[in-house]
Amino acid sequence: MAASGQPMFVRGLGATSRLIIWLLVGLAMVALDSRYHALEGLRASLALVTQPLRHAARAPFEMADEIAGFLTRHRALQRERDALLQERAELRAEINATRDLVREYAELRRLAALDSRPDLHGVTASVLYQGQDWFAQRLTLDRGGRSALRAGLPVVGADGLIGQVSRVYVSSSEVTLVTNRDLLTPVFIERTGQRGLVAGAGRSGLLELRHMTVRTDVREGDILLTSGIDRVYPAGIPVARVTRVSRSTTNPYLRIDCVPLAGIERDRIVRVLLPVVAEEKP
Amino acid sequence: MVVDKVARHEAGSWRSLAMALLLALWLQSLPWSGIGLLLRPDFLLLLVLYGSLHHPHRVGMGWAFALGLLSDFNDGVVFGQHAMAYVAGAYAMHLLRLRLLQFDPLRQAIQLLPVFLMVQLGVLLIGWLAVTPPLGWGIVLPAISTTVLWYGVASLIQLWHGKGMRRE
Repeated sequence: MAASGQPMFVRGLGATSRLIIWLLVGLAMVALDSRYHALEGLRASLALVTQPLRHAARAPFEMADEIAGFLTRHRALQRERDALLQERAELRAEINATRDLVREYAELRRLAALDSRPDLHGVTASVLYQGQDWFAQRLTLDRGGRSALRAGLPVVGADGLIGQVSRVYVSSSEVTLVTNRDLLTPVFIERTGQRGLVAGAGRSGLLELRHMTVRTDVREGDILLTSGIDRVYPAGIPVARVTRVSRSTTNPYLRIDCVPLAGIERDRIVRVLLPVVAEEKP
Repeated sequence: MVVDKVARHEAGSWRSLAMALLLALWLQSLPWSGIGLLLRPDFLLLLVLYGSLHHPHRVGMGWAFALGLLSDFNDGVVFGQHAMAYVAGAYAMHLLRLRLLQFDPLRQAIQLLPVFLMVQLGVLLIGWLAVTPPLGWGIVLPAISTTVLWYGVASLIQLWHGKGMRRE
């Protein structure tokens, strides 16, 4: 029953002798390795030989790890992105609110500075809304007769004249803006002292300086202040800046375009100036 | 012709042995961990014993020793530990060979359990004597798993070769 590979006749050493020899070799190696660390070279060369195999063995696991890691990373990144988007929206809202506050704060500071002038004492009011009618050029304030307002009082913003109280209700009032076509404001040119009248240009947000003869010294960039001669406005409130001076052959007067200095369409807090006598009453 | 056929057969079986060696080394160096590491069969031992059962003129004690050294290296233990145990295993196979060849894989596996156990205990003993006290009885678990694996591998190869290698 001998298999093809089975040795029929034992040549050389018997199995037991070979066993003993190998065991002795093994014992020698154990001794060499554990006592004298003499086989580190063999270990190193084996490591060198089996290196590719170990890499090959680890490759599928590493790939699986990589794929799993990729998927988790993807999910984590998506979650992170959503969180960041939400955070960004919140921060945007906060920034807008802060900008709003900063603007309002600056406005208030300028108003407070204005308040230090003794002839500019008044009542602070908030703008409720701007008139829907574009040509009416009116604002509605949240103060009225109860705060001692009456028609005709000047209204200033932080940067200049806004208009004049035209109607007063119990707790609100209407302001006719300087840009209203029908509102005349006596002014003088800061640079020359030349007096004149300013009225709304009829177009939104613009003013014109009327009835100035062609020889008047007016330039672009000139600042117009209230002159105070009508006793409605205190003198020296900034009103407008000249933006364009043009002559025409048919008209004896100059055509002078100005822009109001006050933030007529921006300001949300304005000041209604009370006459000094009215203030002394209460 | 016969010689040529035999030679080709020889070459083929050398190649399959080399493939088996590569496979065993690869399996051995997979990143086993936890319970898998504890139960990891000794693939190289399996290869040695299977080789010395079916190809005794090729896989002898020298190969057993060499593969034992590889196994030592792989486990990071002192050189000679597995080598001596493998040689002892190959010797046991040499004694049991004619007997084992008459059995089917299941019975082979059952009879080989003591051999595997002996090899593991030999590794344990040599390690103990040479370097460190053992880390518990977990070291004999591979004997059992290698037995199970023997059954699997031997059955598979038997199926593969039809009636089995013992009739060869």
